[in-house]
This record gives sequence, C-alpha cells and structure tokens, in this order.
Amino acid sequence: MPDLLTPRRRIALAALAAGLLVVVAPWIVDTYTASILARAFFVAIAALTVDVLWGYSGVLTFGQSAFFGIGAYALAMTFTHVGFDAGGIALAFGLAVIVAGLVAALVGWLSFYHGSTPLYASVVSLVLPIVLVQLIYAGGETTGSSSGLVGFQTFDLDLETWFRLAGLATVAVAAAGYLLLHSDAGRILAALRDNEARCSYIGINVERLRLGILVVCAIVAALAGLGHAALGGVAAPENASFVFGTQLVIMVALGGRGTLLGAVLGALGIELASAYLSGSLPFIWELIVGIAFVAVIVLFPAGLIGALRRLIPGDRADAAPRLQTAAPLPRADRDMMVEARGVTRQFGSLAVLNGVSFSARRGELVSLVGPNGAGKTTLIRCLADGLERTGGEISIVGRPIGRLPPHRLVAFGLGRKFQAASVFNTLTVADCLRIARSRRDPMSWFDRSPVLSLPQAARQVIEGGGLGDRLGDVAGDLSHGLKQALELAMVLALEPDVVLLDEPTAGLTRAERSAFGAILTDLVRREGLCVLLVEHDLDFVREISSRIIVLHQGQIALDGTVEQVVNAPLVHEIYTGGHVPTAETAS
Amino acid sequence: MLTLALDIATTAAILFIVSAGLLIVFGVMKIINFAHGALITAGAYAALVGMRLGLPAWMAPFLAFMVGGLLGMAIESVVVRRLYRRPLDAILATWGLGIVLGQAVIVGFGREVQFVAAPVAGTIGLGGTDYSLYRLLLVAAALAIGIGFTFVLNGTRLGLSTRAVILNETLAEGLGINAVFVRFLTFGIGSGLGAAAGALITPLASVDPNMGIPWLINAFMLVMVSGSALSTLAVACLVLGGMQVVISTFVSPILGGLAIAVLAAIALRLRPEGFARA
Repeated sequence: MPDLLTPRRRIALAALAAGLLVVVAPWIVDTYTASILARAFFVAIAALTVDVLWGYSGVLTFGQSAFFGIGAYALAMTFTHVGFDAGGIALAFGLAVIVAGLVAALVGWLSFYHGSTPLYASVVSLVLPIVLVQLIYAGGETTGSSSGLVGFQTFDLDLETWFRLAGLATVAVAAAGYLLLHSDAGRILAALRDNEARCSYIGINVERLRLGILVVCAIVAALAGLGHAALGGVAAPENASFVFGTQLVIMVALGGRGTLLGAVLGALGIELASAYLSGSLPFIWELIVGIAFVAVIVLFPAGLIGALRRLIPGDRADAAPRLQTAAPLPRADRDMMVEARGVTRQFGSLAVLNGVSFSARRGELVSLVGPNGAGKTTLIRCLADGLERTGGEISIVGRPIGRLPPHRLVAFGLGRKFQAASVFNTLTVADCLRIARSRRDPMSWFDRSPVLSLPQAARQVIEGGGLGDRLGDVAGDLSHGLKQALELAMVLALEPDVVLLDEPTAGLTRAERSAFGAILTDLVRREGLCVLLVEHDLDFVREISSRIIVLHQGQIALDGTVEQVVNAPLVHEIYTGGHVPTAETAS
Repeated sequence: MLTLALDIATTAAILFIVSAGLLIVFGVMKIINFAHGALITAGAYAALVGMRLGLPAWMAPFLAFMVGGLLGMAIESVVVRRLYRRPLDAILATWGLGIVLGQAVIVGFGREVQFVAAPVAGTIGLGGTDYSLYRLLLVAAALAIGIGFTFVLNGTRLGLSTRAVILNETLAEGLGINAVFVRFLTFGIGSGLGAAAGALITPLASVDPNMGIPWLINAFMLVMVSGSALSTLAVACLVLGGMQVVISTFVSPILGGLAIAVLAAIALRLRPEGFARA
C-alpha cells in the first residue's frame, strides 16, 4: 500500500519510533553510556547543521563549532555573572540566539556575494572559530580564559531527564529538518549545491538565501551548545574551536552527508566510541578515526548511510507530479524589448566589446553571429548581468538594468539559457521545473505538491521533447539533448519576454536541431517573445532568424535582414578572412 | 625601530618558508594540502631525531625534506590522486591524513613538549641592537628557497613541464608531458618543503604534536591571498606578517596573532581573485 506511506507519514513514523526509543533507552543502558549519549545528542544537533550547510547546500564549513561555543558561553557567562534565575535563563537563551544570529549574518555577508567561491566560504568558516577562541582566551575572568567557565549553578535535572530532553530535541530537529529539506522549497538547497549560477538566472537571490540558511543553522547550533553547557555545567574553549568544527565535519562524512540521519549516527557513534576507546586505546583510537575518515572521503563519499542504501535498494522515488497549464500572465504592452547603447566590456586593456548598440523588438528572433572571439557570449553575459559591462547602457523591456545582478533582471522579464546545458543534476526533472517556477508559484516549505503548473510554452517543450513521461527522472541522467530541452523549458517556465540563448543547438543531432528551431520560431510567432540567439551554424540561423547581427572584433559589423546579411560580401570576408588585407595580417 | 624592521623581515621570512610548499602544491594542482601542518610537525620531529642521532644541526632541514618528501609522495599516490575532481573533498582527506600523521607522532614520541637546539646560537650586534643570529639566518633560507624555486621553474626542463601543467593541463598532456608525474613530484617537493620548514622553525619554538596547526592556518590564508606566484607570496608575507608584528608590538599579541587570518579574509572579500596580478 504505497499510497498510505507518503514520505511525510514515513518520516512521522520514523520520528515516533526514534522518540520512543529515546524515552525507553535510559531504563536499558547504564549510567555511563547514558551520560555520554546525553551530551552526544547536543553534538549531533550541531552535526545536523553541518549536514544542512555542507551535505545539502554545498558549503563546507569548519565554523559551526563557533556557534556551538557562542551558545555554551552565553549560558555559562550569564549564569556565572548574572545569576541563575528566570531572568538569567531568558537572558542566556536570548543572548545565544541573538549573538549567534548576528555573527552568522556578518559571516554570511563576508562569505556570500555575487561571484564568491565555495572555497572562500570555507576560508571564512575557518577563521571564525579561531578568532572566537582567541577572544575567549583574552577574556580573563569574564570568559574564564583557557580553563573555561565551570562551577556555575545550572538546571538541576537528573540524568534520565537530560537524556530524554536532549534525545527528543535531536529527533525533533532531524525530523523538522527532513520535512523542510524534502519539501518543494527545500529542494532549492540542493539546487544551490548543484548549480548556483542557474539559481541566479532563475531569479533566486542566492546570496540572501545562503545567508538565511546560515543564520538558521547558526541559531540551532548555538542552542545545542547552550544545552551542552547546561548539562555539563562547563563551557570550554574547545567547544568553540576549529578542531571541534572539523570533528563535526568528520562525523557527518562518516555517517553520510546529505542524509541528516548520517549526521546523527556519525555524531553519536563517534562520541560513544571515543568515550569507550580513548581510555583503553588513547592515541590509537584517533588514529583509527583519521584513517576511517580518509578512507570514507576517498572511497565512499556517501558515508555509512550511502553504503547501506547501495546494499538495500528500495523505491525511494517520489511519484512524479501531474502537469497543469498555468494561466498565462498578461504581457507587458511594450514593443521595444532590448536596447543596448554603446556597450563596452574591457578586460584590462583588452576591449572584447567596443561600443555595441542595437535594439530588438517583440516578435523578433535575432541571431548573433561572428567568428570565435567576436564577443558574442560576452554580449549575452552583459545583457543578463548588470555587473558585467564596463560601459554603456542596456534596457530590458524598457527598464535600464544599471548594475543589477542576474536574479533581479529575471524580474524584468529576462531568461537566459547557457551554452552548456545548465540544469540541477541531482534533482528530478519535475523539481528542476518547479524551482524554475518558484518566482510565480511560491513553493511549500512543508509539503510536496502533486501538481506542477507550467506555462503553455514550457509544457510544449517538455511534452514535445520527450520529457513528459520522465518527470520523475534525475536530470543528471538525461541525454545531452534532453538536458538542453529541460533547460529551455526551465527558462520558458519563467515566462520571460526576452530569451537569451547561447549556442542552444551545439552538440544536438540534426533532428533535434530542427525540432528546436521549430519550437523557437513558434514561440516568437505565437507568444511574441523576443529571442536573441548566439549561433555558429549559418544554415540554421538562415532558417529561423528574422534578423541577423554580425559581430566582429567586439563591434557590430552588420545588422540587417537574413537576405542582407547572408549576401553581404563583408560576411564572407569575415568568415573566410581571405579578402580583407587587415584580417590576413592579423591571423 | 631597527628591531621592529628586523622583526618584520624575519617574521615574513618564516611565514614564507612555512607557506612556500603549500603554495607550490596549490599553484600546480589547485588542491589545498591540509596535511601541510602535520608535515611541518613531522619535519620538526625529524630534526629532533637527527639531533638525538648526533647529526650536525645544519643537516636537520635536509633530513626533514627527505622525510616530508617521501611522506608527500606516498600521500599523493594513495589518496590525493583520486580527488583532483573533488577539491573540497581533497581538503578534507588531507586534513584526515594530518590527523593520522599527528597521532602517529604522538604514538612514536609522546605528547610532551620537546626542544631542538639551533645550529647557530647567540646574537649579533646590528646598528646598536643585538638580534638573534638564527632568525637572520632564516631570512637567508627564505631567499634561498624563493630564488631556488624561481630558478627551477624558469631554468629547467621540469620547471617548463610544471608551468605547462599549470597553464593548461590537457594541452600539456597532449604534448607528451606526464602530468601525473609532474603532480606527484610537485606534491612531494611541496610536502618536503613543509617538513623542512618545520625543522627550520623548531629552534625558535618547542616541538609538540600539534605545533603545525597554527602554521597551517596562517600559511593557508597567505596562499589564498597570493594565488599561485612565489613573488606575490613574498609580498603577502611581508605585508601581512608586517601587520602581525606591528599589531603584536603596539596593540596586543592576541590581536596580532589573528592579524593574518582576519586581514586575509577581508582582503579576499574585497578582491576575490587574490593579489596574483596586482
């Protein structure tokens, strides 16, 4: 009865079972094990945040220990210096949440900006705990310096209660995380990990989203640290250290990144094993952990859970959603779609584009042609990203783009298809399309929708291109041609007025290419789109274009109808090079 | 004032010695060797062993270079070779190897702090102040490493192959350059340099199993700022090392200790491509 066990019910059942286990466990395990596990639960919550950041959204972080430490010290410092009463408790929680949130916002601002690399975010995450530990060392009496803070009055609960509290908190965080991350909206995190550029060109503010995820993870880690300090009655510099940050990563890697369950198992397993083994095998144990970690990273990147999944193949695929046609948006009643005036792009002293001016109207299919290095792709880039050009003005559907980043230009009515098919490789076709629709149809953070609304044009590409019955397939497994069709459908799902296509037919078969051409001309004629196309194949260009612009050495050499351009001697000269004396000397 | 200038010059030299191996590996392989810190530690212990065996002190860095080079070649051929397409995983795997190496050192030598004697002791009078002769010697060592590698890269066949691999690996392989071997050798040399650096800095500090980690972090930040050129690394060491000395002297040693990491992170935020072409 697969219908009764929807993913949500399955996770609810699993959470219930895990919760029950946590409640029963203190009666079964001995006191020593229970005390180790109670602390390990708080570490597991911190490991869960590492998994969300690294496993799900692709930012390798060494810095979650810093937030854990902020929570621990918020409690220890408040209870030591302010006192243990209702006000003190509220203050401790408030400080943990606010300080962790603010520090995360600062770190996020530093780490994530238009054009930042994942490595840079890792660098910043490495610096954070180092700075924090030095501040703790320098704090004297206030922070307890290198020996930390101990001996403050804290919650007087017995071990069984702590165990259940911490265990249930872990189950709750893991279950809530699972629901959120596997909801429609949660798939955006995986999309960020797979392909950040595609996310921006779908209109997602990548930097703000990453910052938001970091702030939430930081607050959760801080609360875990607070719990850890409350239970142990101690806050030590090690709680905030870079080494602890790397241990969290090791736990997640061994358990299995991107699974949540792996983070919990990794944390509990390592904490428990090191408590038992570090006594009998003091240094050998860490040696074993190190070797296991290296082996897992090299040989089984998916960790323990990933290895188990491979052993027990199961049907984990979600049912593919039903397609619906979205009600068409009212089109802007402008005729002028793209206007470029004097667009220049310089790299140092080299001008790749030099004063390019042109315009394109609704219902036009304009092809940009020219030899390699003429600046075609650079021009597309300048049109789609306000930060790219070094001079000149561009307007999209009548609005000047200024220095706006790509995700803002999507709102102007711009869609860009990349040269190499750019989709989300680990997501299903349906999820790729749903994320592309996220600007129009806000996605649920709690559920998976059984229907998928697409505009007519995108639906046509999907169904006409042979993707209609493959909505549940993983995009990375599609053939090159189907990936190209999927990306085009994703761009059309934005319901753009202007579509930029960079060599969309490269690598396609002749049949795929003519099908593609038919779709494009149809879109332009019926939907009144304005399409700008970079293309090398002059025959293809001749068949589908309404106008051709020839770029040569960063300038517009010709701008005219198909007949005017194809018959122009200049074009033959540019392409063959033979008749222009300057071109001869240049080559 | 002269002491301050000497402090800056010698600090920069030490940073350069410690970072050069990491930079060479990053420049050629685009991989960050997080085992570099453990290799520094291994080099320091090699110096300790050399001293116990009664070898002359000047041989310590060479012995360390051999040890580190062999370790590096083993690491490259067993682990790193499989991770070229997963740079973030390469960071993690080399960090794990660092843990393994560090624990192996603990098993072999214990956790306690130990000391290695400097090959030259005492101070030298310079313009009215006495300054540690050994620290000045390290400036010469840094210059030797910098000049030596510039010569190897620009004056030898191996250097030519290496530069070809840096610029365009696919093309280099197409031209018959064995990129796999170039990377193997580069990783070995970079690791050897890290270990030699460990042997060179031990007389200034003590030897303990975790000594490499703070050095690793500073070296990592310096390499991130420098990109892949030894000349920019030298500038970065002078500027950031200089800031570290100035802040330590006039503000507080704790802030000074953070100077390189924090300033490098901010510099990268302002200029993400690093300062390689500045």
